[in-house]
Amino acid sequence: MATSSNAKPSVVRLTLGAAGMLVGAVVGWGTGRLVKHGALDLSGAGWSDLAAGTIAAMLLASGLIIGLATFNPRLAARIIDPAGDRPARPSQVIFYRQQAAVLALAGLMMAAPVVATLVLAPLPPQLGQAIMAGVVALFLLQTLLNLTVWTRADEMMRQMIAEAGSICFWVLQGGLFLWAAAEKLNIAPALSAWDLMTILMGVYLVVSSVLSLRRGFN
Amino acid sequence: MKNRLKVLRAERDWSQADLAERLEVSRQTINALETGKYDPSLPLAFRIARLFGQPIEAIFDDGEA
Repeated sequence: MATSSNAKPSVVRLTLGAAGMLVGAVVGWGTGRLVKHGALDLSGAGWSDLAAGTIAAMLLASGLIIGLATFNPRLAARIIDPAGDRPARPSQVIFYRQQAAVLALAGLMMAAPVVATLVLAPLPPQLGQAIMAGVVALFLLQTLLNLTVWTRADEMMRQMIAEAGSICFWVLQGGLFLWAAAEKLNIAPALSAWDLMTILMGVYLVVSSVLSLRRGFN
Repeated sequence: MKNRLKVLRAERDWSQADLAERLEVSRQTINALETGKYDPSLPLAFRIARLFGQPIEAIFDDGEA
């Protein structure tokens, strides 16, 4: 009898949800401790710092969970494909690890400037340059891994990535134009490059998640 | 676009993962194809047709015929 799935997606979702909540609780507890002991002063953080920090934590947690799961091929297969019915093959494990690394590196890149400016304020220029060099190195590595993921992905995944990019471009270029016009007319506050990057990442994550759900990824 | 992928797969007693492996795509892609959430590229449609030994139009129906 041919079956599409022998798995129990709800169990996998619950496990993933529990793992996500556990990581979130640890990160939240750690942040709370840092704030309480004065090591982290969030009073100077803008909305984009907090949003970028949250997105970075989500990306890091996702990368960490998927990366750790790849050490168990059956678990790895269930996390990437909850309705799947067989363990991940070695080539799939490598592919999942690359995707996990892309997520984790994206999280690190987003977190580094926020954490550095909050924890090390006032940030000495030389330290800022050193951190920037690290961010550039992470960016180059992440770009390389992203290209690898693109070339190894199948055609539907590539189409979803391309669609997400197209939708984000059209939505955000419209939004950017309208905001720029409003800013020029002195009826909207100016946005920083960091604000714009945070909005872009947030919109991209939402759009790519919606597209994935529409295609049956869950 | 409608297709007979699920029927053809069931006739051969293949799971979605079996078919995905034969076509070198993900299981999610097979699921999306079967549920009409994704239309294959022409190269993938040809691979599917060759795998099942049938012409493309015998597997896929764009509703125009």
